[in-house]
Amino acid sequence: MVKFIKKVIFKLYVIFLMGFTVWYGYFMYPLIFGFEGKEKAEASLMELGKAGTDKERMFVKLIAEKEQTKKTDLGYRVIDQPYIEGRFHNIGISVEPDNGSICVRCHGNVPHDHSKEIRSFLNMHAFYLGCESCHIMPGKDAPAWEFRWYKKSTGEVTDNPVALVEIEDSYKTAESMRKYPMYGNYGAKIAPGKIKNGTFTFLHDKNDMAFVNRYIVEQDHLGPEQKSQMKRVIHDSVSKKPLQCDRCHQKKSPYLPFAKLGYPLRRVSELTDTSVVGMIRKYKEFYIPNFLTPGGIKD
Amino acid sequence: MYKQLLAKLIIAIVCFYGFGDYSYAGDELNCVLCHKFRGLSRIDKDGKFRLFYINQELFDSGPHRRNKCKDCHTDINKIPHDPAKKVDCTQECHMVEPSSTEKFSHKSVAKVLSKSVHSPVDKNGKEKKFKEDYPGCKDCHDQPFYRPFSIYKGQLKAGVSKRGISRCKSCHTRGDFAEDFYEHVTTRLRKSRFPMETIEACAKCHQDKAFQERHDLDDVVTTYKQTFHGKMIALGSERTPDCLDCHVVEGENTHLIEAQDVPTSAVYKTNVQATCRTEECHSKASAKLAGFQTHVTYDREKYPLQFYMLVGFKALMAFVLYFFLLLIFLELLRRLFPGFSFFKEKNNNSGDN
Amino acid sequence: MSKYDPIVYQDGKRLFYRFSAHQRVQHVILFSSVIILALTGFPLRHAEEPWAKPLYHFMGGPELAPLIHHAAGSVLLALFVYHTIYWMALFYKNHIGKLKRENRVTPVNIIKEFFSQEMVPNKKDLMDIIHLWKYLLYFSKRPPRHEKMSWREKFDYFAPYWGIPILGPAGVALWWRDEFSHFMPGIVLNAAYIMHTDEALLAVLFLFFVHWYNVHYAPEKFPAATVWLTGYLTEDEMIHEHYAQYVRVMIEQGLEDQIKPQHFGGEEYEW
Repeated sequence: MVKFIKKVIFKLYVIFLMGFTVWYGYFMYPLIFGFEGKEKAEASLMELGKAGTDKERMFVKLIAEKEQTKKTDLGYRVIDQPYIEGRFHNIGISVEPDNGSICVRCHGNVPHDHSKEIRSFLNMHAFYLGCESCHIMPGKDAPAWEFRWYKKSTGEVTDNPVALVEIEDSYKTAESMRKYPMYGNYGAKIAPGKIKNGTFTFLHDKNDMAFVNRYIVEQDHLGPEQKSQMKRVIHDSVSKKPLQCDRCHQKKSPYLPFAKLGYPLRRVSELTDTSVVGMIRKYKEFYIPNFLTPGGIKD
Repeated sequence: MYKQLLAKLIIAIVCFYGFGDYSYAGDELNCVLCHKFRGLSRIDKDGKFRLFYINQELFDSGPHRRNKCKDCHTDINKIPHDPAKKVDCTQECHMVEPSSTEKFSHKSVAKVLSKSVHSPVDKNGKEKKFKEDYPGCKDCHDQPFYRPFSIYKGQLKAGVSKRGISRCKSCHTRGDFAEDFYEHVTTRLRKSRFPMETIEACAKCHQDKAFQERHDLDDVVTTYKQTFHGKMIALGSERTPDCLDCHVVEGENTHLIEAQDVPTSAVYKTNVQATCRTEECHSKASAKLAGFQTHVTYDREKYPLQFYMLVGFKALMAFVLYFFLLLIFLELLRRLFPGFSFFKEKNNNSGDN
Repeated sequence: MSKYDPIVYQDGKRLFYRFSAHQRVQHVILFSSVIILALTGFPLRHAEEPWAKPLYHFMGGPELAPLIHHAAGSVLLALFVYHTIYWMALFYKNHIGKLKRENRVTPVNIIKEFFSQEMVPNKKDLMDIIHLWKYLLYFSKRPPRHEKMSWREKFDYFAPYWGIPILGPAGVALWWRDEFSHFMPGIVLNAAYIMHTDEALLAVLFLFFVHWYNVHYAPEKFPAATVWLTGYLTEDEMIHEHYAQYVRVMIEQGLEDQIKPQHFGGEEYEW
């Protein structure tokens, strides 16, 4: 018996060594004849060379490079930051992806493009507001939404982000500003939801949005009419006219309950009074009467 | 209609009500009120991602920290901003160049650059082919950082040491003067960028296959990275030369890189030996050292010696290693069937050789 | 002639003499310096790989690692010279000395004696290789019977003899490049660079698989052979690898009746 087991172990070891030998032959090949990684990078660059128009070239480049980063070694500190071609100023920090929102899976992080004068502002808001916050309104007679923060990493409800007050107060001193150089980055976003049977669920709750997820997975296999049908249904609840700036940036009952969401009082008063509201009012009067009415402007 | 209204109502600056107690030195217009948001961004009509975020902490870590936003972005006067011109690095900024009474500007650098191989016009003022390929400031430079270091009791350390700077601060007590000059001067006492970053800056163009074809250039970056110089830098050394050390004449402005066939170039046939043998490098070598070829592509016609040596070694390596690999594989296989043979030998122990 | 007995007994088992302490020490110096050279050289050869930088910094970083590499290389070169003198002395003592005593010192005899040294390849090795292939391709039932040094061991032995003359001078030229430039054209350094890096790759790939298979991975050796420490082979190892020598030594020692049959495959080992 012991002899038999020995024999089996012996044969298995020999077979393992044979596998190791084959692997070694495979491992040696690029070492002797060059490097696989280099060839790959070269292949994508070659493809880039063949692409004809600027647009094509850009696509090939984006697909080949995915996200680019840049390292700066200062000797006492290494700064590893995202790289955007043609950008001069340093970015410093990467942004974590928003896994909680299903919208960004198609629309991405920088979705606003329509209202030329304020699209950057709108994208700025998209950094800490879920899309539904402004683009899906409760029905006329329906009760108002409940607003909560969700974690970007998981999409789950989170208490007012721990660092919220600290970050909001961060520009008071140079030291704290250094600690939170990326303003508004709480790792969380505000999104609306409903209270069903005493428990809170987001509009974008996983179960409620499961059909959208399914669509994204299946879309390549759908017929053209089916695709249009489903798109219509998916975007059905999107309001024609999105939320306007002064619905939130006003003193009397702002649409978003800032205080309840955990903003420090000082920040609430800024958002609903003086500076921000002042800026909005000024633009409305001096510049373009329709300036701060997203969705309602046509160039 | 709107545009007319806009034009009439160019109000130089919108002043905001007291907003926060801290705003950094350069930002007297409180631009960061909006530009501190990481999400302030859009995609432009060519599909380029435009990010308008300013990382104050990093902005404060470089020589530009004493500049106001408007020093460079001169034509931004109102909100929302009109389409702005590209920043012109050669314009004068508010600072006075301390060795003269003139306002500071990067004009002198641009002048040198225009004499170099990287200028889009040639000596006779004629435009070169593919002039859009030639670099401007931003193609090689990002927002610069200070890379200070300190020496205390003979010990060199990266960063600002409290003890080191205290020697300045005992006299220069006002404001950030000591900090600014300490970081500025110590950064300038060595290269302001880690050599690998310089190489990557060159690689942006010089490693691009299509670019190489357009200008009939070899892949000088990859070939450089295969040299001892390049490899030591990849491993973190700052002592071996990067691109600029060999392509700029000793003592010249770094921006004066000249083509190989220009007689004043650092890499002109007869000048290479001087470039190799500068005091900090191969000072003990003879002029023959310049016969070393740096950018070897292993091209059969250009570098026959290297090509045939490489082919020879690869063949030898492949032959020896795969021969023994096959032998070991067969031997292992043989162990699974130790007694088997196509021919029956009479006696297992017969025959001796 | 030798102070070692061809067969010693330990715990009732026969052990066969193979390497003297002097030779074992040489081997230890050889492999230590080669391993240090590989550890300080390969991160440089593959500087762009992610493992290179941490390993190089572990080995002393850009400041110290080159010094270690130069030191280990010097040791290896010194060992190479020493070993060459060593076998020349042995050759003189054991072979030329014999000829002198017998008054037969002629060039032909010297050449004959040269090829009779145990490390020098001879006709039997060629026959063994042919036999091995017969065995591997199932045309023969048993592997060749090797004398004290099989052809593979001879190959292993001569690998440094072709490797070090390539690697060593190239390494020295790269090390003292400035001084060498006074009497050599610069392009020699290009050649030295290729010689040094590619020959090193060959050596390391060979050692870490083929040699390590022979002394580490092989089923009967795993995890490691002991002869480099003890200088003696077990009877099993002798039968497996040096059957011809085994039979010869047993007969010489008058143990003819105790000769065991040849076995192979490795299964028969007591492990």
